[in-house]
Amino acid sequence: MFRASKVNRRPDRLSTYFLSNSAVLAGIALSGILYNVGLTAGPFFEGQLAQCLIAVMAKEKTVGDMVNLAGLYLAVILLVQASRCLKRFWVRRLANNTARSMRRVLYRNLVYQNPAVLGLDEAGSLMTKAIGDVDACAEGIRKFTTEIFDTGVVMIAYLGMLWYYDARLTLLACLFTPLAYLLAQRLKRPITRSSAAYKNSVSRLNGMALDRVTNALTYRVFGCEAQRDEAYTSQLAQVEKNAVVSSAWENAMQPLYNVIAMTGVLFVLIRGAQNVLGQGWAVWDIAAFTTYLACFSRLALKSSHAAKLFNAVQKARVSWQRIQPQLQPVSVPEAQLDTFTAPASLSVEKLSFAYPHQPPLFSNVSFRAQAGEIIGITGPLACGKSTFGRLFLGEQDYTGRIFINGLDLAEQNNAQLSQLVAYAGHDPQLLSDTIAENITLGEAFDCQPWLTAVALSEEVNALPRGIQTFIGAQGSRLSGGQQARLALARTLARSRPLIILDDPFSAVDPATEAEILQQLRVLAQDRIVFLISHRLTHFPDFDQILWLSQEKVQVSSHEMMLKTNSAYAQLFEKQQRKEVKNDESH
Amino acid sequence: MNPTELKLHLHRSVVTVLRQHWLLVLMLAGVILAGTAVALVPPLVLERVINQLTTGQAVLFSLAFAYFIFLALAGILESLQTVLITLIGQKITRQVRQDLCAKIQLLPASYFTQQQAGKTVSLFVNDVEALSALFDNGVLSMAADALKMIGIGAMIFTRSLGLGFLLLAITPLLFALTRHFQKRMLKAQQTHRSAIAQVNNAVPETLRCLRMIRTFNKQNYMEDRYDKHLQTSYQSLEKANFYDSVYSPIIVFSSSAVIAVMMVLASLSGNMQQLFGMSVGSAVAVIAYVGKIFTPLENIGMEIENIQSAVASIERIESFFQQPERILPTQQLDLSAALTQPVLSLSHVTFGYQPEEPVLKDLSFCINSGETVTLIGRTGAGKSTIFRLILGLYAPQQGTVEIAGQPADQLSDSQKRRLFGYVEQTLHPADGTVGDQISLFDAAITDQQIIEAAELVGLAGVIEKLPQGYATPWNPALFSQGQIQLLAIARAIAANPRILLLDEITANLDSGTEALVMEALQKASANRTVLSISHRLYQQNKTGRLITIG
Repeated sequence: MFRASKVNRRPDRLSTYFLSNSAVLAGIALSGILYNVGLTAGPFFEGQLAQCLIAVMAKEKTVGDMVNLAGLYLAVILLVQASRCLKRFWVRRLANNTARSMRRVLYRNLVYQNPAVLGLDEAGSLMTKAIGDVDACAEGIRKFTTEIFDTGVVMIAYLGMLWYYDARLTLLACLFTPLAYLLAQRLKRPITRSSAAYKNSVSRLNGMALDRVTNALTYRVFGCEAQRDEAYTSQLAQVEKNAVVSSAWENAMQPLYNVIAMTGVLFVLIRGAQNVLGQGWAVWDIAAFTTYLACFSRLALKSSHAAKLFNAVQKARVSWQRIQPQLQPVSVPEAQLDTFTAPASLSVEKLSFAYPHQPPLFSNVSFRAQAGEIIGITGPLACGKSTFGRLFLGEQDYTGRIFINGLDLAEQNNAQLSQLVAYAGHDPQLLSDTIAENITLGEAFDCQPWLTAVALSEEVNALPRGIQTFIGAQGSRLSGGQQARLALARTLARSRPLIILDDPFSAVDPATEAEILQQLRVLAQDRIVFLISHRLTHFPDFDQILWLSQEKVQVSSHEMMLKTNSAYAQLFEKQQRKEVKNDESH
Repeated sequence: MNPTELKLHLHRSVVTVLRQHWLLVLMLAGVILAGTAVALVPPLVLERVINQLTTGQAVLFSLAFAYFIFLALAGILESLQTVLITLIGQKITRQVRQDLCAKIQLLPASYFTQQQAGKTVSLFVNDVEALSALFDNGVLSMAADALKMIGIGAMIFTRSLGLGFLLLAITPLLFALTRHFQKRMLKAQQTHRSAIAQVNNAVPETLRCLRMIRTFNKQNYMEDRYDKHLQTSYQSLEKANFYDSVYSPIIVFSSSAVIAVMMVLASLSGNMQQLFGMSVGSAVAVIAYVGKIFTPLENIGMEIENIQSAVASIERIESFFQQPERILPTQQLDLSAALTQPVLSLSHVTFGYQPEEPVLKDLSFCINSGETVTLIGRTGAGKSTIFRLILGLYAPQQGTVEIAGQPADQLSDSQKRRLFGYVEQTLHPADGTVGDQISLFDAAITDQQIIEAAELVGLAGVIEKLPQGYATPWNPALFSQGQIQLLAIARAIAANPRILLLDEITANLDSGTEALVMEALQKASANRTVLSISHRLYQQNKTGRLITIG
């Protein structure tokens, strides 16, 4: 489809967006040249009409001649305006295509981001970029393309017309035009600077609006709403100031260019009149005089608009420069693995991990696991057990080796990894869609068994729309426990050789937890399950226990662990005692 | 003050601005009038030039100079007009954004759970932007253009009565045509904007779900989802563009047709001469005027389109302003009264987010000052809902929720932080520094209090080691999951509240961090009333009372 188009090869180059629209560009070029060259027809025919009126009054021509001339005039204008119509539409299509392509590339960049690398603070600025800069960039391309024809081509056409009527007068009258360009060149920097300052303050403002709305209830509960409103208000003042300064720079200069370029009209009126009276450099009639004056006025206006062309390019460049680093080509891994049906096997060899510039979180973790095993993973504070689980997702580099079904994990691409490992973290990460869609994620299969597996099916079926119920943004229409179980169902539905569950039952009550674990035993008969938790209630039932800490890494059965690992034993007994007490107190 | 007086309306915002800056508006009116008058002069000069030329006279320098000067002056006035319009337009959008922001505070909590945040943010970003265009390139410019048309029309009448009537006759036709295009445009624009809102909403959602997308290799699926919205917006914009492209050429062609007809009629003799006859100079001047009269009409067409495209935005902004409001609670509680007994009481409370589906039914309990109470119950029993009632985010449908004898939903927001320390399930990071995460930009919380809160939860050391300490810009990568949870506790206790409300606090913590949290909470619980919904916390602590919900 579109997404597989050429744009993906070099999305960070502006030319890519033009090249991928070559047919539209050809249409724009053809209709644009026809329209802009045709624009000279207006002044020419209007001059001829005035001349014809003189002739009719002098009885040299008849009304019939006038009717013929007027008819020809209208036919030409019709052709010119039809070209204009096509040009306008195609230029807008070019911009629309570009905006769509850029949004796709931006989104593709976003969707292939590594969650371990991407800081969430970029959320606001990324969103503003996606909204503001894509539109500004597309608008820039539209204006730029428009101005190339409506300023560039049309100026050449007018200049040619003037040259034809009186070359010397044209040289004299257009003497002032370069001055306007020089001035525009000099004023480049303050215009760019004020425009950039304005854009930045708007971006900040939009970031603040996002923060204010998404955290509205937090601010309310903490009684900080009024203060946040004040901060937003003061940023508004900043934006207003910058907008006016930027607009003043852009607009105040326009009449200045115009006045300079129009100075030549003095020569046109005086020398032109001499031409008509037979005293000048060329022999003119009234038609020539009015045509020349009209063409010159339009040329002068256009040349002062040359600054507009420049402004359009400037604006587009500012947006482009901001957006360009985001528009990187994304290499999508092509190699895939088949879905596994064979019983799983796992071997971890001397696995170590450290965050950059920090001591290792854990070192030399080695163990093997067979199909059907559940491995409980625990350890003291900040031992990195969540990080351990995420190492199997290929988000971060590690030392040592991991083999699943004999395949070295480090050699697998993201698509292959997803066939080896299924994961559920403590953040449910649900989509604003239906319950069914959140489980299937676009695939075709029956959700019910998975809802049953996570003890959610009764609750869901009780809803009026069942599995077709919309769960709201971030699953907000479900309770925390329901969200967690839905996320778990989604993971279990993608049963892979290794299933990693990081603290999946924190928002689930103990009875439901036991029920789900029982189901898990059956479902994962030929799989391997990691259960990362700090609660050891069900650890006695697990096949192996992995104890992770900076000082000590140990893998053994629960019983051995109790005997040989005092920290584990302590933790377990402490929790055990409480549970017993808890039961008594009920 | 009577709350109805404060009612926010879009037109009210606009009128306020115009009233406040009447001098600016007056100036703009002056500039527009002067600009219109000055722009009428050059064709008149041209008329004299041509008439002199047809009689064989030379053109005087003074005449040529007058032509140039009036052209220059017209240009300068036009620019001044643009800057003034931007200025007024900016003042209006600023006021609207300010009023939109003020509305957030007045919205009931249910609004935020029902509406996607992206859509609301889009009001502040896209819709106000469209509103800005409505003033800059819409209403104000349109007034100027209408005036220009009237001026030119009057001039044409003085030159040729017949042509004047001809223009009067075709203007309604062109207006009807314009209306036709507007209606089509509007429909396309509305579809486009709502599709764009969907497109924009996908970005924050995707950011939140990145790990899920990656582990299930669902990038393609997500791109398809995104593309569906993108395609809708693309199609509707194409449609709008079509009308946009066709409209203006039709107007220009009409202007040429008027010139052609006029010239033919002017060359007729007999009765027609009375109506349409004119000198060649006048003919040239009138051609110049006709060329000009359709430029503002064309502009008005575009401006109407700008206004049309903003109509959808106006409707959305207006309906946001119309959202039912909560009554801003004003009740001030004497903080020493927080020691009265019972400090917290629920009496026969029945509540549901939808009244017909109650979550809590006839629930009653009391908590005394200094007590530690844990609410237990199956997931979905409504424990978090009780917190929301206590925090005054919702009012019960039946029964009462009272804090020291005052209804919870009537306590003023500003006081809440001194009364309640709410530890949320997960920290909602604010757009600011690390220190701001604790203070939440609350000016009443001193740097010292921020540091004390950080020290109490045992994060002070970690934060001080950051490159800019408390002033380091927030980034979740700076902290572990557990430390982020500790930060949420620091936020809750920073203002030294009387009552601690602990949501499922141990949710994302390992046992070690939990121990650290316990330590922090034990310090924090001293001399405070603690209400927790974490049964694990209770298991760990074994102090206080248990209340079973559901």
